[in-house]
Amino acid sequence: MLIENLGGNLMGTIPLGDIVLYLNSLHIFLFVTILVFTALIAISRTETQVEAMFGSLDENKVSVGKKEFKQRRFLAIICGIATAGAMITGDLFNFTLFMALIGIVNIGIVSAVKHVDVLNSAYQYGLIAMMCGLPLFGGAAMILAATGTLSLFELAAIPASPMMIFGALVMLIGVCGESGIAPFFASKAEMFRTPGSPFILIIHLSSLFIIVRFVEILLIIL
Amino acid sequence: MPNIAKLWNKLADPKNIPRLFALILGLLLIAGFLIPIGLNTDQIYTRPAPQSQMDAGLTIAPYDRGGEILESPGITEAQYPENSQNLGWINSYMTPIADMLKGISPYFGTSICASPGGLIDEILYYTRGFDTILESSILMMAFIIASWLAINFTMDRKEEKGEGDIEEDVKRAIASSDRIANEVEMSNRKARKKQAKKEFR
Repeated sequence: MLIENLGGNLMGTIPLGDIVLYLNSLHIFLFVTILVFTALIAISRTETQVEAMFGSLDENKVSVGKKEFKQRRFLAIICGIATAGAMITGDLFNFTLFMALIGIVNIGIVSAVKHVDVLNSAYQYGLIAMMCGLPLFGGAAMILAATGTLSLFELAAIPASPMMIFGALVMLIGVCGESGIAPFFASKAEMFRTPGSPFILIIHLSSLFIIVRFVEILLIIL
Repeated sequence: MPNIAKLWNKLADPKNIPRLFALILGLLLIAGFLIPIGLNTDQIYTRPAPQSQMDAGLTIAPYDRGGEILESPGITEAQYPENSQNLGWINSYMTPIADMLKGISPYFGTSICASPGGLIDEILYYTRGFDTILESSILMMAFIIASWLAINFTMDRKEEKGEGDIEEDVKRAIASSDRIANEVEMSNRKARKKQAKKEFR
């Protein structure tokens, strides 16, 4: 499908040798939105969870320590920047690289937590993220072998062959696992049950943006 | 209907998710055997026919792409030739050591120490210039974060004492659940006694 049909008018390209970034209204919108959210998260404080105690009127406050707070803020900013990069890239392989970075950072954001359940689900998510390396990079390699290019500009002009469709499907499975959409949501959803809300939210936000962008890439390829 | 409910409950358990993912991925990869392999031979980095350079007696076969340094361009292709117009001018550059090695035997051409470094420079730093930096820095970032996580959140955790110790947390959780169970048991017993008294009257 033509790039112009999907994301609005082509506003221009940034030629950096063989890597040509292209800008259209969809990409700029996604890019700016995720950067704004990252900035908001970088300046915000964490929430404090309040748990009611059993059998009394007392409450139990769960807050985040300063060291943990700093680590999480750093990882959340990295996650936001990686997502922003995935939004604007014009190269299929760079997209998969950004995805891999987001997966690692997502585990990092929750791994500082001291809840056994959360760590357990983060471990399970880590297993999926590790498995996702194969379909993500394998799918990109298959598309490269079938077409001879990874540039989305060039891929838009090439009609889809069976191998390209299969490569895109393999990549789709990888993106589904890495961003934790149904039916793989359980391990990622359990990870949200931890204090420190704004940094946890970037996990969710990045996977939403990645899915939107990947659907666009799928439509460009096929 | 209860079967679907059971299935949903299984999907809600994080332990089952990697298994489900592995199953789906495995099925898809097995289905991949049915896909006809349609390789594109018109790749961007051209290769001569196998053994043709060997038969022609070129010393750096199979990586000879022709050209003389700063005199005539060799064969290098770019995705967007308009972005890299001085392509191929340093194609055949070799370091003195590589130059010496290629004189010794024609079979050193396949090793990296006697292949033209200029060609790699053309591809990595000229045509894909920005990308080489970007990709390797993303990968480096990923590896640094992964190793930092491994050092800080796996090995050192047992030595961490005090407020947030994970073993302490587990113990506390077990103790509190025991206490709650005891309380429930006690209140049950009381209620049963009351009930028994009432019935006795």
